[in-house]
Amino acid sequence: MLGGVALALTAWGRPAAKLGLGGSRLGLRILGGLALALVLLLPAAARVSAIPILPPALAIAAIAVSVGEEIAFRGALFAALEEAGGAPLAVIGSTALWTAAHALSHPPAFLLTVAAAGLLLALWRLACRDLVAPIIGHVIADLAL
Amino acid sequence: MTRGALLAAAAAFYLAAAWMVAPGFYDGFAPPQPYNFVCPPAQAGANLPPASGHLVIKVINGVSDANSAFTDDGQVVIGFLPGAFDVTGKTSVTVDIKPVSPCPNSPGLHFSTNVYEITADATLIKSSTLVLRYRAESPDGPWTNIGASAQAQIWTVDTKTDKLGYFAAGYPSNSVSSGGRSGSSQILPVTIAVLIVAVLVGGIPLTILRRRQARAGGTDDDEVA
Repeated sequence: MLGGVALALTAWGRPAAKLGLGGSRLGLRILGGLALALVLLLPAAARVSAIPILPPALAIAAIAVSVGEEIAFRGALFAALEEAGGAPLAVIGSTALWTAAHALSHPPAFLLTVAAAGLLLALWRLACRDLVAPIIGHVIADLAL
Repeated sequence: MTRGALLAAAAAFYLAAAWMVAPGFYDGFAPPQPYNFVCPPAQAGANLPPASGHLVIKVINGVSDANSAFTDDGQVVIGFLPGAFDVTGKTSVTVDIKPVSPCPNSPGLHFSTNVYEITADATLIKSSTLVLRYRAESPDGPWTNIGASAQAQIWTVDTKTDKLGYFAAGYPSNSVSSGGRSGSSQILPVTIAVLIVAVLVGGIPLTILRRRQARAGGTDDDEVA
């Protein structure tokens, strides 16, 4: 929970629009988030018959962490890297750091999948200049699994 | 390459990568929580007593509802499908999970977890998803191997059970343990944490410089394709 808030604070002082958090075409952004969630959940949904329901405390923590991670990696870090070195650096740099951060808790065999998820979310951020959809997709995926 | 094609390629790459490993959305980068042992092994370090779990499942239109019972420390989760219990004459079903103390001893098995007793006041009639591997009629055995799913999420062992009773995860005593993390493996997390902080802190002056240079011709990021 605190980790999520701390991550979100990395975006302190940046205009929401620069983070991809503007309010225009909100419907499309939400729809995009649902589409991203679908892609993120598909490999698990195809293979798992019953998924335990998250306890409320864990669900709140999952939401905080998801939102915090998106604001930190695809929001603030992406914007800083894009300003510093352009779109390729933003996509590759934010994905690499997102993957490296997850190496703290994941065995190496899982890191390719983590990187692939990060790349997908970063490319969405780049292609659509939007962070609302990655946040929604990320939150849903975390809550569902 | 168009934006749509780029996103489709990234989605396909993710699907292929995710299919190669156990299901889950691989999130969170805090180190795993320490396990709470009833009988901590010598190398366990500081230990908190393991938690119990309690769940009341509603009976709706004569069918027990879908729900999950879990211990408060999350060390055991069992998920029940709709109609998992025989609810004849009942308006609810109560499920309890308790760590067994003192620790049962079973020759030939080395438990990696506590032994948990899972009980309900109704009979289980549908297989349920459980995170532990072994089941026995009494805590001192004989234990029955009920297998483990190849699709288990990391740091868990998932399986199916059609009976409630005593559960634990472990391996035969004569097998070789893969061992835990060695002290030297802590270097990697520390290195990564330092790198992340360095890049985030380094990014601030870079951003300020860029902003000053580009103040005259800044672009709005707020658009959706």
